[in-house]
Amino acid sequence: MTVVQGVQPYVDETRLWCDRCPVSAIDPDIAGQLAADLSAADFVRILKTFEADLGRLSAELEAAAGAGRLEEYRRLAHSLAGAAAAVGARRLEQVARIAMDRGNGNDPALLAVRVRQEARAALAELDALTAARQAGAG
Amino acid sequence: MAGAAARVLIVEDTPTQAEVALALLRDMGHETRLATTGEEAVPLAAEWRPDAILMDLELPGISGLDAMRRMRAEGVKAAVVVVTSQGGIGSAVEAIREGAVDYLPKPYPKARLSTTLANALEKRALASELQEVRSRLSRDRFMGFIGASAPMQAVYRTIESVAASRASVFITGESGTGKELAAEAVHRASPRRSKAFIALNCGAIPRDLLESEVFGHVRGAFTGATDTRMGAAKLADGGTLFLDEIGEMPPEMQVKLLRFLQTGSFQPVGSSKAEKVDVRIVSATNRDPWAEVEAGRFREDLYYRLYVVPLAMPPLRERGSDVVLIARHLLAAFAAEEGRRFRGFAPEAEAALAAYSWPGNVRQLQNVVRNIVVLHDAESVEAAMLPPMLLRGGVQAAPAAPPEPAPMPVPVLAPREPLLPPLTEVFPGLADFVPLAELERRYMLAALDHVAQDVPRAAAILGINASTIYRRLQAWRAEAG
Repeated sequence: MTVVQGVQPYVDETRLWCDRCPVSAIDPDIAGQLAADLSAADFVRILKTFEADLGRLSAELEAAAGAGRLEEYRRLAHSLAGAAAAVGARRLEQVARIAMDRGNGNDPALLAVRVRQEARAALAELDALTAARQAGAG
Repeated sequence: MAGAAARVLIVEDTPTQAEVALALLRDMGHETRLATTGEEAVPLAAEWRPDAILMDLELPGISGLDAMRRMRAEGVKAAVVVVTSQGGIGSAVEAIREGAVDYLPKPYPKARLSTTLANALEKRALASELQEVRSRLSRDRFMGFIGASAPMQAVYRTIESVAASRASVFITGESGTGKELAAEAVHRASPRRSKAFIALNCGAIPRDLLESEVFGHVRGAFTGATDTRMGAAKLADGGTLFLDEIGEMPPEMQVKLLRFLQTGSFQPVGSSKAEKVDVRIVSATNRDPWAEVEAGRFREDLYYRLYVVPLAMPPLRERGSDVVLIARHLLAAFAAEEGRRFRGFAPEAEAALAAYSWPGNVRQLQNVVRNIVVLHDAESVEAAMLPPMLLRGGVQAAPAAPPEPAPMPVPVLAPREPLLPPLTEVFPGLADFVPLAELERRYMLAALDHVAQDVPRAAAILGINASTIYRRLQAWRAEAG
């Protein structure tokens, strides 16, 4: 799989779905604002909810794509985009929004894989952010 | 509401988004509920009655827009803020057309959510206040009154403003303008409503009985006083005493009433023991009360005791479209009472009603409509069914001041009724003798014209029963085909 590089186009094998994508999986402004707005406990709970959302939604998305259930696939992509937007997972949000678009021209199964990859990347960065926040709080 | 804790319903199907909204709102001190679908949100909003709703537009099942429409149909008045994705401005605009107050693009920081919500709640509060003010300004019914005209709105406002106070109310207005109804409205709108409303027509009670009627008497106080009897003041204890036609009160009784108003206590006729009561006084007259004071017929000190809050009842001619509004109401009521088919007035008939000056005010209108219902039966009141005086196209000059006190409710001989002018004036063209029946017809119609078609008053002047006039009118109309 192509490594995402700053403002480089996304992967070739699924055609261009994103012209310019953020370097980081997480937008530090949004996640940082959320962390600032909420107590540490609330912030951690939201990240855990996000993690649970991603695990469930990305698995369901792949299953829907594999079975050709495209309406369900788009609805799940919408939910993923919403969850990602809430915590500043911008790259994941963008990929999910491409999946929501009926005319995106990408193979749903490949996009679903890409979603899972972006979800992992977002979670990894959020884990680091959480650890930093908890360390700061401690 | 803005700034205070509010009830906020979150409609969001994505747990992360919902969790963010819940955490931020709770942190702001708001009470929250969550619905994950539109189907779940509609009954929850109808039951919980939130102040605001954060509505995601893209929901599984029914959309956020459909949920908003259903909530509106259920009477939900919450301020709706739609939550959209960054590219969802188009759907936010559509939601605002559907009644949403504002939109919030995801993701939103706490400060943005707080400001948007506070603005939405403030808009909702203002809209609600505006609606209340509008409904108060445009109401066409109030405590038994029918009328949406500006002068009546002023009457309603005065009654509402004064009701809670104990202050005396002095109602002025021509005969038939609803002075007693206004007095009752003051009572019914007041904290005294659970106690008695006692009305006394000072002009209808013989002078020597008035004191006993107001203050009561003990057994043996005067010839015929076989039992101790409570007066109006005692009966109205804790409630309201309405003294109608106060200008008719004899001077010696005015002194006693003044003392009662000053001390709150009175002595029943024949008793040496003072009784104290808590009574609110509402009085009324169809005369100019200050002119009565100046003429020496009404005590100035009593005037100042009674004339605390003046309430002027507008004559019907100054109430614009209220005439038709009242006529329609009366027609429906009388038709139901008399078992007639009437459903409304023909446009020409309504135009004639609206153009007439109604010197006898609502009472005259009441009599006219009653006459029509008694004498006819049709789906619609046609212009031809109206009394001739309304069809003459004449808007009669209204009297500067009402000339006579209110008529007695029962059509018996009423000594204060004005007598008819001489026959030669009634029938200036009457050169030769005519059959007696014809003379009776003309004379009866002239009497009706003279008292603005008030049948009971005409009957009183002519010394006959009102039913005789109704029967004659019916017969003459039948003859006329």
